[in-house]
Parts: sequence; structure tokens; C-alpha cells
Amino acid sequence: MTTTFEEFETVDLFSSWDAKTQPIISIHNMKKWFPVSQQSILFSRVVAHIKAVDGVNLFLNKGETLGIVGESGCGKSTTAKVTVKLEEPTEGSVYFKGIDIFQPMTREEELAVKRQLQMVFQDPYSSLNPRRMVLDLIKEPFDIHFPDMLYEEKEARVLEILAKVGLEDYHALRYPHEFSGGQRQRLGIARALAIHPEVILLDEPVSALDVSVQAQILNLLHDLQKDFDLTFMFIAHDLSVIKHVSDRVAVMYLGKIMEMSPTGELFRKTGHPYSVSLLSAIPRPDPRIKMDRIILEGDVPSPINPPSGCPFHPRCYKAQELCSKVTPDLEEVEPNHYIACHFPEI
Amino acid sequence: MTEKPILELKDVYTYFYTESGIVEALDGVSFDVMKGEPVGVVGESGCGKTVTAHSTLRILPKNGKTVSGDIIYKGVNLLDLPDLQMRKIRGKEIAMIFQDPMTSLNPIFKISDQMTEVIALHRRCSKKEALEIAIESLDQVGISEAETRITDYPHQFSGGMRQRILIARALALQPSLLIADEPTTALDVTIQAQVLGIIKDMQQKLGLGMMLITHNLGVVAEITKRVHIFYGGRVVESGYTEDIFVNPKHPYTYALFESIPSLEADKTRLMTIPGNVPRLINPPKGCRFHPRCKYATEICSRMRPPEHKFGRGRRVACHHFEELDLHVGKEAILDRAAVKEEV
Ligand SMILES: Nc1ncnc2c1ncn2[C@@H]1O[C@H](COP(=O)(O)OP(=O)(O)OP(=O)(O)O)[C@@H](O)[C@H]1O
Ligand SMILES: Nc1ncnc2c1ncn2[C@@H]1O[C@H](COP(=O)(O)OP(=O)(O)OP(=O)(O)O)[C@@H](O)[C@H]1O
Ligand code: SF4
Ligand SMILES: [Mg+2]
Ligand SMILES: [Mg+2]
Repeated sequence: MTTTFEEFETVDLFSSWDAKTQPIISIHNMKKWFPVSQQSILFSRVVAHIKAVDGVNLFLNKGETLGIVGESGCGKSTTAKVTVKLEEPTEGSVYFKGIDIFQPMTREEELAVKRQLQMVFQDPYSSLNPRRMVLDLIKEPFDIHFPDMLYEEKEARVLEILAKVGLEDYHALRYPHEFSGGQRQRLGIARALAIHPEVILLDEPVSALDVSVQAQILNLLHDLQKDFDLTFMFIAHDLSVIKHVSDRVAVMYLGKIMEMSPTGELFRKTGHPYSVSLLSAIPRPDPRIKMDRIILEGDVPSPINPPSGCPFHPRCYKAQELCSKVTPDLEEVEPNHYIACHFPEI
Repeated sequence: MTEKPILELKDVYTYFYTESGIVEALDGVSFDVMKGEPVGVVGESGCGKTVTAHSTLRILPKNGKTVSGDIIYKGVNLLDLPDLQMRKIRGKEIAMIFQDPMTSLNPIFKISDQMTEVIALHRRCSKKEALEIAIESLDQVGISEAETRITDYPHQFSGGMRQRILIARALALQPSLLIADEPTTALDVTIQAQVLGIIKDMQQKLGLGMMLITHNLGVVAEITKRVHIFYGGRVVESGYTEDIFVNPKHPYTYALFESIPSLEADKTRLMTIPGNVPRLINPPKGCRFHPRCKYATEICSRMRPPEHKFGRGRRVACHHFEELDLHVGKEAILDRAAVKEEV
């Protein structure tokens, strides 16, 4: 079967973009604040904001995988949702192939952007409509983006992608609740991959999978990336997975990027004190090894009232007075190694 | 030490009836959990881990049924218990943390409502005390500003926070047995360490028994004492965690260790177990692993392998386990450990 979709390509929106010199996605000072309101019988009043994303700067080059790591609740999913236009940013902008996706667009342009930017959601169950059969769920993106494609071809493509994620033909006739957790996660992946978008944001795509099936999915992603020059943003908390899949890694803390560098360098020349403590906390598959961890001291900070200055300073082993006063910028300390810290380790 | 199982599954069969046929999800599963003991249940996606938990609590969907076997909790066969009594067991005696955090939290109620009611019911305290207990347990699992955030709705929390809310709710009930289905999958390592620490504490303080369902072998190594390895609806290997990790005896267990992505690996292809996860409608005859097993012979495709028992409570269901020496796992693990020292 043919696996390209070129014949269906209609819009040539992105002619001004140069893949060699410009990132495929760049995010500038993205903020997403959620209002916290106090309710009484008559009115509700905004009393504070959850600063889920608070000034994120990052970019993705065509064909690479950028890994995103960071504590639970630090804003990874929110960053991804804004990047694929599921949420509006409070501030800042997202450029996809040189185009600001939050500027007004025609419907055709909008569809073209949505087709090329797909997301695999963290919670596989709530992102799959329980009343629809798997066949229809995975076929849906074809119905939206390739309305002229023949039904038989759509169906064949659905079965092809199901097989690639390790599911069988008869699974196409089942409903989401009839699958195990890991099988559901693979349904979400199949759905996003089916139409070969150029950029896929994968939010914890393998967290519910055992190592063997996980390896199968990671290999599949690797092959697709090679064959179609896909770009991935890969959110995961498992650092061995991140190390395995990523070309570069961005470390996030409390709504900000703390460090971003090529993968090998991050593990070899860890620059940010937060990254250092993160790397020391990895559990190892050997019951005889006793842990030697830097357990983070201090309260888990709140995105409602983030600390002044560097958001990490109350828990940082290197913090000085300056850190509580001035917020460090994300700076290119060495070529391609960005760190937001007043006293980096390198 | 007088060890007595708090939970014992004996030869449990659970089937699902679907249009395409009967799914033999559990095919004669036997294992036990001692009082106060952390036990791991490990196996690949779709092998029946969640169905084991649901069978134990008797919360299978309509098309599913435990057709034979015994599930003994504190000496009582749960499968014979009237519904009313079973309801009292759930939550108070056996608490469960579900795999899908979003489906076990009701989207239209605040977290406070979803926690205080059960806590008040099971701990027999006032709503006000229950609220205090709830806030304290949220605080313990690292939800900052718990007093403010407890009035939020589930969708306002991140994936990992929802998972922690469920852990907090289960632990606040002070059960005797905790069934935790992938409780830390959405958690980053630092929070994971913290949550595992809390669970360990509870275990020592309250003598909490635990069935920890997970595919994360790092977590298994760190927190469980014994482990049961599942494959295609059966237990293929059981024993002390240490023994199995150092010297896996079943070909599947061995293959499982081989496919762990290690910290030293580069961006290359990972080892996978060749072949597919077995279908559970018309599953492979004989040993369910035989189509993917390097060591399989004719007998493997014909006869269900008997369970070999040896050592301190070790069980292995394989025709050829005596001829195979699979302690290669040891080297692989030591390699990984050595690399870790450098990092
Ligand atoms: N719709 C919403 N309304 C209010 N707050 C929200 C909403 N969505 C997310 N938040 C808050 O924003 C913060 C960041 O959430 P996000 O889901 O981005 O975290 P995350 O980094 O993906 O965490 P995890 O690893 O646990 O999934 C959290 O404090 C969360 O409670
Ligand atoms: N309601 C159902 N109807 C039909 N088959 C089902 C149903 N629920 C589960 N199954 C099947 O039973 C098998 C065991 O499922 P189970 O949820 O126990 O897997 P698991 O070991 O928990 O996997 P995971 O790690 O992916 O969560 C799977 O093959 C699944 O497809
Ligand atoms: S019984 Fe045979 S097929 Fe099954 S694991 Fe042992 S050697 Fe392999
Ligand atoms: Mg998330
Ligand atoms: Mg499961």
C-alpha cells in the first residue's frame, strides 16, 4: 500500500519556511494561567491564578525528538496543549513553520495546521469516545482531513496502523472499555499516527506499557521518524526512555524551562541544580543496590504562588541571596546548551 | 515468623464473553499475599493484571465472569460472599487504586466531596474530621496548597496529581490490603520516590499488605518482597524479588529483563520479545509462551507446563526450566548498575 499522502496535499501555506535554518516549531515566552475563583451564591470572583505555564521558550528542529521532563504538575501537558492549539495562551506565541498559529487564519489553513500537528494524550481513556468503535475512532482523522479518500482505503489504513502498534484486526470492532490500560494507550498512539502528521506531541505515550511492548512502540516511532522525517516532542517522566528517544532534552520546573541541551550532554554535563537532583532520583532495576539520592528538601512549590526569583531556589542546594531576587533567563551557556541558573554547574 | 496469607487466589479462571469469542483472561491463576507484605504483579500489557484485581474485588464488567476458583481474603471466600458484605470489604478492608485516574474520579464533583464522604463512612468520623484527614493526606502525597485545591474539580489537576489524589484517598481509609494498579505510571521520579516512601511507611506502621501491579521493574525491585510474573492470563514465575531478578528461570521473565531500556543505551533499536502478545481468544495451546520462546520444543506446544516448586517458595511453569540457565540477567543488571555509577 502507498504510505504517502502527497496526492491529498492541497494547501501550500508554508512556502516561506526554510527547514534548514528555521525550527519547525518555536515557542516564545508562552504563558498559560488558569483563574482560581472564589464562589458565593451571587457571584464568582477571580482571586488568584494557577500559573501552569509561565514563560516557556523552546524550539523543535525538523526531524528531531525533543524530550520534556519535569515534576508532576510543572506544566508539561499544558505546554503541549497550547502548542497544538487546544488551549489559548494567556501570553506569548507559537510559530509552526514560521506562521503564528494564534493569528487569524482561513478554515483551510486551520485544517492544514491541525493535520500536521497531532497530540497523543496522557490519559488514554478520557480522550477516546467510549461510545464509538475502535474502527470509527481511528478512521475519524481520515474523515476530517481526507474526505475524498475511499472507504476501503481508510479501513485498510486503520488495520495497518493497528497492526503496527501490536493490536489485531478483531480489536477494530471493540469499544475502548474492552481494552487493557496499555492497549488503550496504543489506540491513542494509532489514532495520532494514522494520518502521518509532521509534528507529534506525545504526552507520556508509553507510561502504561510494559518494557517489551514499550520497546515495540519506541521502535515504531523511531522507524516512522526515519521514514517520514517526523518531529516529536516527547513528554515522559522515565529518564531512561527519554535518554533513549531524544536528540535533545528540555527540563521543566514550575512552568519554566530550566535547561535544554543535547541528550548526551545533559547526562554528562548536567548544568542546572534541579536537573542534577532529578537525575539522582532514578529507581534502578536491581533490588540489591541501595539508593544514593538527593531527596529534594522543602515543600513542593505551588504554581499559585511561585517563589520569587528562580522558582527552584527554596529547594536548591546552591541557592544564594541573588537567586531569591532575580529570575535567571534561559541562556545559551555553551553552544546548544541552554541553562536558566545564576550558578550553573558548568 | 508466623506468615499467613491475607489474600490467596487459587486456580482462578475469569472469562469475557464477546462477539468475536470467549476471552480467556485468567486461566488458572494462583498466588498469595502475606499480611503486611508488598507483592508485585508484573507482566506485559493485556496479560490479565487488572482483571485479577477486578476479579478479587468482584467489579468485573457485565460481560466478564469468574467461572471457577477461590479468592480467599482473611479466611473468607470472597466469591461466596453476599453483595452487601462484599461492599463492606471494598474500600475499608481492601482499597484499590485504579489504573485510570480519570475514570475513578467523577468529573462533576469537587475533590473534597469525593474524598470526605468515603473517609467519613469508612473511618466513622464526622465530615469535618474527614475533611482534615483528606487535606492531610493530599499534603502527604505532595499536592501543594491542599486546603485551596481540594475544592477544585478533577480536570483542573495534572495527570500525576490525579493519580496522587487517588493514592491519598485509598491510604486515608487505612485498609488492610491495598491493590495498587500502576499507581506511579504518571509520576516523575522524585514524586514517585516520595509516594513509594509513604506506601512503605504505611506498610510498616499499619501492617498494610499490598498487591502492586506494575510494569516498572525498577519500582518492583525497590519496594516489593515477592513478585508474581504473569503471561497470557497465567502466573509463569513466582518467588522472592531478589531471587528472580538475579536469576530469572522462566524464558519469559528473562526476555522481560532483556528489553528494559537502560541508561547507557544510545538511540538505537531496543530488544523486543519477538512475536505478538498472545491472543486470549483461542490462545496458544500448551505453554502460552511457546510461539515466542527460543527454547520451545514439541511438548511445549502440546502440554500445559506443570509448576515446578523449589528453593524458598519459588515456582516456575516451564517444561525446560531445569535445562536452561538464564542467569544472564545478572550480568545485564550489573552492567546497568556500573553505568549508573558514572552518571
Ligand atoms: N483546566 C485547568 N484548570 C485549572 N488548573 C489547571 C488546568 N489544567 C492544568 N491545571 C494546573 O496546571 C498545572 C500544570 O498542569 P499540567 O497538566 O500541565 O502538568 P504536567 O506537567 O503535565 O504534570 P503531570 O506530569 O502530572 O501530567 C497543575 O497545577 C494543574 O493543576
Ligand atoms: N470488558 C472486556 N471485554 C473483553 N475483553 C476484555 C475486557 N476487559 C479486558 N479484556 C481483555 O482481557 C485481557 C486482560 O486485560 P487486563 O486489563 O487485565 O490487562 P493488564 O494486564 O491489566 O494490561 P495493561 O498493563 O495494559 O493494563 C486483555 O487482553 C483485554 O483485552
Ligand atoms: S514451557 Fe517451553 S515454550 Fe514455555 S517457556 Fe518453557 S521452554 Fe519456552
Ligand atoms: Mg501531564
Ligand atoms: Mg491494566
